[in-house]
Amino acid sequence: MTEVASHTAANPTPEAGHAAENRSAIDAAVRPVVVSLFLSAVGWLLISSLLSAIAALKLQWPGFLNYSFLTYGRVLPAADGAFTFGWCSTACLGVAIWVVSRLSGRAAPGVKIASFGAFLWNGGVLLGVVSVLLGRLRPLNGIEFPLGAFFIMFVGLCALVMWLAITFRAGEQMSLSMMFVVGGVAWLGWSLLTGNLLIELGAVRGIVHQIVAAWTASGVMWLWIIPVALGAAYFLVPKVTGKPIFSGPVGRSFFWLYFITAGLVSASRLSGGPVPLWIVSVSAACGILMLVPVLGTAYNLLATARGSGVLGASPSMRFVLFGVGILSVGTLLFAASGLRSFGYALHFTMFDFGVRALLLQGGATMVLFGAIYYIMPRLSGCEWLSSSLVSFHFLGSAYGSSLGSATLIVSGLAAGSALGDPESSFSQVLELASSYYWGRTLAYVLLFAGYLAFALHFLLMSVRIGQPAGEATLLRTQNEH
Amino acid sequence: MSRSGTYFIGLFGCFALSFGVAVLAPHLQLGPLSPSFKEEDGQISEIYPVASTSVNAGREVYVSQGCQACHSQVVQGPEAADIERGWGVRRTVARDYLFEAQPVVGASRLGPDLTNVGSSAWRNEPEADVHKPAKRDAAWQLLHLYHPTAVIRTSVMPAYPHLFEKRKVTGEPSPLALNLPSDLQPGPGYEIVPTAAGKALVAYLGSLDRSHPLKEAGAIAKAPAAKK
Repeated sequence: MTEVASHTAANPTPEAGHAAENRSAIDAAVRPVVVSLFLSAVGWLLISSLLSAIAALKLQWPGFLNYSFLTYGRVLPAADGAFTFGWCSTACLGVAIWVVSRLSGRAAPGVKIASFGAFLWNGGVLLGVVSVLLGRLRPLNGIEFPLGAFFIMFVGLCALVMWLAITFRAGEQMSLSMMFVVGGVAWLGWSLLTGNLLIELGAVRGIVHQIVAAWTASGVMWLWIIPVALGAAYFLVPKVTGKPIFSGPVGRSFFWLYFITAGLVSASRLSGGPVPLWIVSVSAACGILMLVPVLGTAYNLLATARGSGVLGASPSMRFVLFGVGILSVGTLLFAASGLRSFGYALHFTMFDFGVRALLLQGGATMVLFGAIYYIMPRLSGCEWLSSSLVSFHFLGSAYGSSLGSATLIVSGLAAGSALGDPESSFSQVLELASSYYWGRTLAYVLLFAGYLAFALHFLLMSVRIGQPAGEATLLRTQNEH
Repeated sequence: MSRSGTYFIGLFGCFALSFGVAVLAPHLQLGPLSPSFKEEDGQISEIYPVASTSVNAGREVYVSQGCQACHSQVVQGPEAADIERGWGVRRTVARDYLFEAQPVVGASRLGPDLTNVGSSAWRNEPEADVHKPAKRDAAWQLLHLYHPTAVIRTSVMPAYPHLFEKRKVTGEPSPLALNLPSDLQPGPGYEIVPTAAGKALVAYLGSLDRSHPLKEAGAIAKAPAAKK
């Protein structure tokens, strides 16, 4: 049995047989909250890129902008928080609200509550970023924001989830898209609450703080951002290509295998550290096991899209499939880095940052761009203004994210092998690593160009400046549907 | 039961498994750890680690300045080269961090590991390096924070001038005034002294020494570590 071609434009069944009027009524209802989430996400994307670029330049010129609030140790976590919680998470929330409403065939009343939640979420992220720059940060990788920021974000998330829970309607069989998106939302709320409470209430001691922090931060990436990206891909690919999912049942098995294994990979970056060896081994094993559902899901999506004439022409497909491909490569590198033969030294180099950048900046972000390219015309009632801007955005962000992650990964591999070799002095290790940083600086130039093009295009779209509705803006002269 | 009911039960199962394995089990394993000590004739001695709050202010400065972004506080075992580099005499284990709320293990090594930087045996250069600092005492650390390349020519660490203040010398010069090379002198009649935060940070760095022998941490390397 294959997943029914529910989402096709030609055969719009499972959005469950809701008529076109119903769909546009849903779009109109969720427009304020989804557009404001996307708008703030794009703002965070630019802010985080600016902060990351400053951090990258500081690696090359330590004296660059040497103010107390811009030291490398503060800019880096601020950039990471603004990217993960500001851009990725806020965009994921927008996608989740739109996908869940569309698949449930309704939008609950009281969208204002969700809008208020979005406002609080953004307020929390802003407080977090400013606090980190002012030096109020926690030494916990990936969740450096102070507790107060997470508290406000959590309250905002609760408001959003409450609205989503009222809107949610599973129907006969939950679609794959719904499974990934709802799973991700549930995980985020639960893990942010549990992780922060355990750390701040003194429920755990000593190094267990770091184990809990690694679990929380790893979950934000593997069980919130990436599942929502995959859920969006499962929604968009059949919709745009007009074909049913290649295999629904296998897709479901992959979903479960993914959620089981991705929840157990958190200790991988603690490897070689003062933590029980077994937990590192479990993480390494699950990292390899996780390849099955990730590569399987990617294949399922590609097989769905294969042979469809719209691939090269549809902006959303180009971004989504590129992102899914990069997610597979990133997971492969993540799994490989868990192997003992890669050496413990690797985990304190730029390698881990590179893999994370590949997964989030190259993978999830590109899928989220694709989703925004698909969703916004439906909310604004007009099509994207310029296909050249879309192409420019794609080239800038694809080359930028690939080059940036690749230089970090190569620099990490070089530094890792030198760090593990007592014959090379530490200054030699640093010199070796830094010889690759130029690539990262160049990558930020490309990324900025791409992101600015997108931000401009998005702003025009949000005030409904675009091509007349009806004919999708395509990258070549082909029809999307 | 509806399809979505099964789905939510499955989801709960995944969450519970993740929490049980990745959080609860390590907590149950490491939670009961206690300090190690020596007992002779009913006398307890050599308690390690001991809970201390004396350097908390400096630790807060360390975290707030984001030192952990570039400096780890984890010595890896014999599989890595940390011990040969002079960063410690043994690997660090969970017991070392027993009394630390949110241990500062660090994110990367753009700078050397600081687990034992307060120990006199700590070094970051090959033993034969002629440019190796003779000692890294508080005065050295202050100068290094103020202007890293003044003491380590190849340093890529940013300077932290905001942990210092320039002030007019009134009467005797301060004993904490930095002994700066001529090109960094603040001008006649002035001196550079650390702020309270700067002093606290250096006190914290001086306190960092996790080389007390622990049986689970394996053999102690001869200090300074032997090098081929």
